[in-house]
Amino acid sequence: MKEIVVISGKGGTGKTSITAALTYVGRGEILAADCDVDAADMHLLLAPDFGKPTDFYSGVIAKIDTEACISCGKCKAVCRFDAISIIDDKYVVSPLDCEGCGYCARVCPRDAITTPEQNVGQWFISTTRLQNQLVHARLGIGTENSGKLVAKVKAEARSLAIEKDIPYVLVDGSPGIGCPVISSLSGADYVVLVTEPTVSGLHDMRRVHQLLKQFNLPCGCVINKADLNPEFSRKIEGFLQDENIDLLARMPYHPDFTEAITQGKTIVELDGSELPEKIEILWNTIKSKLEE
Amino acid sequence: MKILFTAQGTGWDAKVDPRFGRCPWLVVVDSETNELTAVDNSDSSEEAHGAGPKTSRKVVELAPAVIITGNGPGGNAATVLEMLDAKIVTGAAGKTLKEAYEAFTAGTL
Repeated sequence: MKEIVVISGKGGTGKTSITAALTYVGRGEILAADCDVDAADMHLLLAPDFGKPTDFYSGVIAKIDTEACISCGKCKAVCRFDAISIIDDKYVVSPLDCEGCGYCARVCPRDAITTPEQNVGQWFISTTRLQNQLVHARLGIGTENSGKLVAKVKAEARSLAIEKDIPYVLVDGSPGIGCPVISSLSGADYVVLVTEPTVSGLHDMRRVHQLLKQFNLPCGCVINKADLNPEFSRKIEGFLQDENIDLLARMPYHPDFTEAITQGKTIVELDGSELPEKIEILWNTIKSKLEE
Repeated sequence: MKILFTAQGTGWDAKVDPRFGRCPWLVVVDSETNELTAVDNSDSSEEAHGAGPKTSRKVVELAPAVIITGNGPGGNAATVLEMLDAKIVTGAAGKTLKEAYEAFTAGTL
C-alpha cells in the first residue's frame, strides 16, 4: 500500500478539486482520506454516506465549578486570552476564547477549575457515491483541526487500506505548513504539490517545500490554471527545476472547475474539455513515480 | 553511545515509526551493551498540538547521540533538539529496530 498526500501551501489552488478528480479516475484502487478537516469539502464532491461515526476528543477547555469558586479573581487575572468573565457575580469560562493552557487551574486556590478534554467532532469511515471508501471528519462549531485528528484519520485510512487490500491511500492535506500539515506528511510515500501561477502560490509552495526537504519526501508539482499567467508559470517551472521537483502536469484554467463544484461532481465527470484526459494522465504519472 | 529510535513497539522486532512527535515509543539502545530501554510516548499523541516539541523534550532528557526516525522532526521539534547536538538520521520507517540499527552501524542508513 502506498500513500500519496496532496498539499498546496496556499489555499484555493484547486487542491481538493484535483484530489477528488484523481479519486474518480482511480476509484477502483484508491482509498481517499480528507485531512483538510478545518475546511473539509471532499464530501461535497464524493457524496459519502457518513458511515460509522466515532466521536473525537482533542484539546482541553477550562471549566469552573461555581460551587467551589470563592471569586478570588486569580484565574481571571492570569488568563492571557481574556476567556474568563464575571456573569451574574459568577466566574465563567468562554469556551470560544479559552485556549486550554491550564494556567487558571494551576493558580486556583480551591482547585475549582478542571480542564476536561473536548469532543470536537466526529470522524467517519464512509462509502462514497463512487463506491470507494473515504475516511473523513466533521468538526463542531468553533473547533479546529489538529495534528492529532489528522494522525487519527490517516491511521484509520491506512489500516483500512491494508485490511481491504486497496493499493493507494490518497490524502487531501491542509493548506499552510503547520501542525496538521506536518501530521499529514508523516509516512507519505509521495507528495503532490498543487500550485497556481501567482506570487503567493509560489511563495507558499516554497515554504511547504522546505518542510518536504526536511522530511526527505519525494514530491511532484501540478501547476493549476497554468495558462492564466504563462510568464509566472515559467517562473514556477524554474523553481521546480532548481529544486529537482517533478513537473507532473500543467492544468489549464477551465470553467468546468466551478461548474463541476456547483453540480457536486468531480471535474472529470463533465464532458467537452481536456480535463478528464489530463487527470487520467496525471494519475498514471503519479503511479509511475511511486514505482521509481 | 546512546541511539534513540522512534518506534511502534518496545523490542528489537518493533518497527521504526515514521512519525517523530506522535510515535508511541522512544527506544534507546546503548551501543556498548546492546541493551534496549523503552520510554512510553503515547501521551504525546494525545496532544492536539505541539506533539513534536513535547517528544523533543523527552528526547533531550534521554540525551542520545543519534536519533533514528522516519520523516524527521518538524520545525518546532527540531529547534528543541538543537540543544542536544545529536545526529538525526531519517528514512528508517518500516524497518525493524534491529534492521535499522544494523544499517546504521554499517553506514548504509
